[in-house]
Formats: sequence, C-alpha cells, structure tokens
Amino acid sequence: MASSQEKITVYNLADLKNTSDDAIPNYLNSLKFRPSHRLTDVRLALGYTAFLLAGACFLWDYKFGFDATKWYTAAAVALYSAINGALTLWIFYVERGTVYIGTAPSGETLRITSETPRKTLPEYHLTVEIEGKKGGKKETLVVTGSFTDWFDAVGHFVAPPFQSMLASAVPVIGKHDPKRVAPAEEAASAYTPEMLDALSKASVSAVSSAAETASGAESTPGKKGGKRRKA
Amino acid sequence: MYSSLVRIQNTFGFFTTVAFVIAALIAASDFITPRAPSVGMLKTTNLQVVRGRPHYYSSKKEEYAIIKFSLDADLSSLFTWNTKQVFVYVTAEWPSTSSTIGATIASNATANQAVIWDAIITSPSADHLSNLGPATLKKLRKSAAGKAIDPSRGKLSLKNQRPKYQITHPSGKIAETADVTLRLHYNVQPWVGVLTWNQGADYGLWSQLSGGLSRKFTLPGLKKREEAKKTK
Amino acid sequence: MLSSLQNPRQAAAQLMNFGLILSTAFMMWKGLSVITDSPSPIVVVLSGSMEPAFQRGDLLLLWNRNIFSETSVGEIVVYNVKDKDIPIVHRVVRKFGLGPRAKLLTKGDNNNSDDTELYAQGQDYLVRKDIIGSVVGFLPFVGYVTIMLSEHPWLKTVMLGIMGLVVVLQRE
Repeated sequence: MASSQEKITVYNLADLKNTSDDAIPNYLNSLKFRPSHRLTDVRLALGYTAFLLAGACFLWDYKFGFDATKWYTAAAVALYSAINGALTLWIFYVERGTVYIGTAPSGETLRITSETPRKTLPEYHLTVEIEGKKGGKKETLVVTGSFTDWFDAVGHFVAPPFQSMLASAVPVIGKHDPKRVAPAEEAASAYTPEMLDALSKASVSAVSSAAETASGAESTPGKKGGKRRKA
Repeated sequence: MYSSLVRIQNTFGFFTTVAFVIAALIAASDFITPRAPSVGMLKTTNLQVVRGRPHYYSSKKEEYAIIKFSLDADLSSLFTWNTKQVFVYVTAEWPSTSSTIGATIASNATANQAVIWDAIITSPSADHLSNLGPATLKKLRKSAAGKAIDPSRGKLSLKNQRPKYQITHPSGKIAETADVTLRLHYNVQPWVGVLTWNQGADYGLWSQLSGGLSRKFTLPGLKKREEAKKTK
Repeated sequence: MLSSLQNPRQAAAQLMNFGLILSTAFMMWKGLSVITDSPSPIVVVLSGSMEPAFQRGDLLLLWNRNIFSETSVGEIVVYNVKDKDIPIVHRVVRKFGLGPRAKLLTKGDNNNSDDTELYAQGQDYLVRKDIIGSVVGFLPFVGYVTIMLSEHPWLKTVMLGIMGLVVVLQRE
C-alpha cells in the first residue's frame, strides 16, 4: 500500500482527516466491499458542467466581444450560479461528508460520513449508516477515534490500528475481517506510541531505507519545539 | 509547507478582511453625515462673444463666449473625514436651437451643457496630492495647519470671475444664443466609497443644493475685432 | 484493483476544484459586467491625469446604464478611442445635444487642455457608445497589484503557478 508510506504534517487536521478518509475505501475495498460512486459522480458532473459553461462563456466573450454576446453571458451567469448553487447544496445536504458508500459481500449497504468536530482536537468522528440486505431497518453507528492512535509522531499513517478500530466498532466490517477485531478489553488505543513507530518502521523498511526514516523521526521533535515557542 | 505558509496565508487573509470591513464602514459613514450645501448668489457680470481659432494652426474660425460671473456658495458641509476633494464646477446650459433640430423641440434646458469654470478643493488630508507650485502648496497647507478637516474651504466667494474655459458650439455659432443659464455643480470625491454629485432632491440626510441656478440670459452679438482688442 | 478506480475520481475532483475557483472568479466578473452593462466594470487608474482625485493604482467601479438620466457633464467616464488599447478615465466637460448622438468632450482634471488631442484623427467629440462606464465607486491603492503584474509579467506566471500548486497539492 503506497499511501501508508506517505508522510503528512501531524499539525494539519485537514491532512489527518483526508488521509484517514482515503484509507477507508482502500480498506473496505480490500475486503471485497463493492463501492458505489453515485455521489462523487453527480458532484463531478455538476462541477464539470459549470466549468465547461464558464469556458464556453470565456470563448464567446473573447471572440465576439461583450456587447455582441451580453444576453448569452447573462444567461450563462444565471445558469452557472444555479449549477454552482446546486453543487453547494449537494455537498452540504446530500454528501454531507460521505467518504464511502458500498455494499458488503454479505449484502448490507454501508454509508460512512466523517468529520472533525473540533478544530483544536485530533478527534475523528465517523457515522456509519447500515442498511440491511432486504432494505430492512437502518442502523446508525457512531465511531469516535483519535488520530494519535493511527498516526505515528512523524506523520505516517499506520493501517492496523485504524482498521482494527473500524472492524471492532462496526460488526459488518468485523464479520469480513475477524482477525482485526480487538477483544473488548484491548481497544485500539492500546497501541502505544512506541508500537506505532515500530509498526510504521516495519512497513517502511520494506520499501525504503531505515536510515531515512530515522532521520525523519529526529527532525520532528525539533520542529515541534519551534512550534511551541511560537504559540 | 503547512505551518509557516498557512500562517502567512491566514494572517494576510485576516488583514484583508479587516481592511475591507473598515473601508466599508468608512464609506458607509458618508450616509450618516448631513449635507446642506447652498448657493447664495450666482449671476453673470459680463458677457462677450468673440471669434477665434480652436488651435493656433487651425484655419477654421469659431465663436467663443466669455462669461464672467459672481458666486457665493457654502459647501462646507461636504467636507468630512472621508472627503478627499470636492470638485466644484459652473456650467452654462442652453436648449437646442430650433434651426438645427426643428421648431417643435426647443424645450429641454440641458440639451447643451459646457463647463465654464471649475475648481478642485482638496481636504487638508489630500493637500500633498494637489498639483500646485511649491509656494502655493505651502500657503495652502499653512491655511489648514493642525486641521484634518477644514470646512471653511467650502465657502466660496468669487467676484466678477473670469471663466477658465471659453465655450463654443459644434456648429461654430454661439452669438445671440437665448435662454442660457449658469448652474453650479459639485462632485464629492471620497477617500473610499461612492462618488456623489449635487442631487435634484433630498436623499436621507443629504439636502439638495439650494440655489445654484442663475437667471436666464441671452448671449450678446459678435464683438468686432477692434472692440475685442480694446477690452483686452 | 478497485482502489485504482477510486484514484481517477479523486484526481478529477481535485482538478475540478481548481477549475471551479478560476471559473467562479471569471463568472463573478462577468456577472458584474452584466449588472453594470459594462465590458470592464472595474478599472485600475494608470495615469495621473485625474489627480488629486485618482492616483495610479486606485480601483474604480463603473456603471454603464442610463436608468434615471443620461450621461452628462461632470461625470467621470471611462472611454475607448478607436485603435487605442488603453481606456482613458476623464471628466465630461461639454455636452451638445441629447440621446445616443450627443457630442461629448472630456478633460482630465489635472490636464490643462481638453482631450481633443487624445481622440482619433478627425474626431472632435465622443458619443455615448465610446464610453464603457461612469465612475461610481472608489477604492484606493488596491489595483496597484495589477500595475505591478503588468509591468513585471513574470510575476503573473509565478503567482498563477503557486496558486495552482497549492490547490492541487493541498486538499481543503
């Protein structure tokens, strides 16, 4: 998995969230979940339609001048605002932070939305909506985790604790990946920072040299100190 | 990448937001400041029409009207902390002549309009920007020493003022034009915000310009060359 | 295998975000154009001919509709002269006649003579359609950035490059 070797800045909440968001489809698809891209496709269609409209407007304005084309331009502006408004509504009310929709091999449909509710805390909130095989009753689970549990000090994403959090909290996932389900007393947070480092090094050393990782690890505490002085 | 750059970005973004909000507030403050400009007197004192050339190399001869006037005006309420300058100008206005457009349409008083005199009155805060000689500028700055706003500059009193511009008409003829009036206008230039002109009606706290229109007069016939020379 | 299908969508989404930033800025400009009926509703002052009212780098908001009254003497207008690229911001000082054929003469407040010299060969007056708008709003200094950009064109490339990189590399 190439993405797990990528290093991010651990102070950037958006980076932490995006990396974690990306890891969810990777994990679930590897468990043979069938993803649905309906939401993304609608968003892309709306966005690119708006963009092409603006492009066309640019072209006719450039070619024929403003006065000759102003009624078309007025219509294009109105249409563009409408499409962009629809896109905004789509993102806020339909997608609302959805990172994955997919069907489990056993037939249940999952919809996972993520958010970082507080700006200053590394909290990761997942809402998992599960629909039964025969369109039965909807079940909603809320999974909360801390980014510190699956990112090491340098900013490497470490997959096992993250996957184990998901598998333990969501039975449908646990069913398809039983070895990641942690016993009740041994929660995901049982991974100590040392273990995270070791895990990340183990995965990195397979690809790159260990020396590089070590130097990266050394540079971070210094950077951290600098940050604190500024704050 | 993240830390320093993002901090600079955020700081700059915040700075621009604050700057724009302050600019908007300053611009809005114009509307809560009352304006009551008035013109005590505006009248012509001497009228002349002479023939001349538009440029020294031009062979075409045109008629030029030279309108001298007197003016008393109080525009001091236009000077606020957001006033950069007030542009004051006097126009001569007359309806279209029936010979060019047709006998029926001669009613519209503003068909022809030409500035005969103008002046830039800067606020003390904008004195350094005005295009004046060093001596005049020094005198101007001294007149408002220690003042950020100087409403007294809005009080105008001109006696038998020579026009800055001798006016013509595209037809080349302007002698004996009837129903000409002089009108005083102003244009307030803010430091930030909307530009405003004299209004025809009261808007909120801004009263319309009271007075500012002279009596109707008729331009005289063409002066003979000898006479024109004599008056000079 | 399936995750490789995910990636083109993500790339497309990121590219779309960058494209939408550009196109939204462009469409807002065009929207303002449509509202003010002016091909260039915001202009930057490039010369000192209207000093002290306008300096180089000041931003002017234009209005090009005659809803209540015709463009008349005293208004500061931006006009184009045939075969000249740069629009000029000057004050109307004379107007003869009414309607679209009215003859207009302009002059810079800071200039000694009127604009007859600036007009095209054989042109003595402007008409309404030469004008792209009358100045209604004023924001000092902000336009200086564009003067910098036009005087040092490489800055444009650098800025656009940095903007593009930031948007493509950083997902927010």
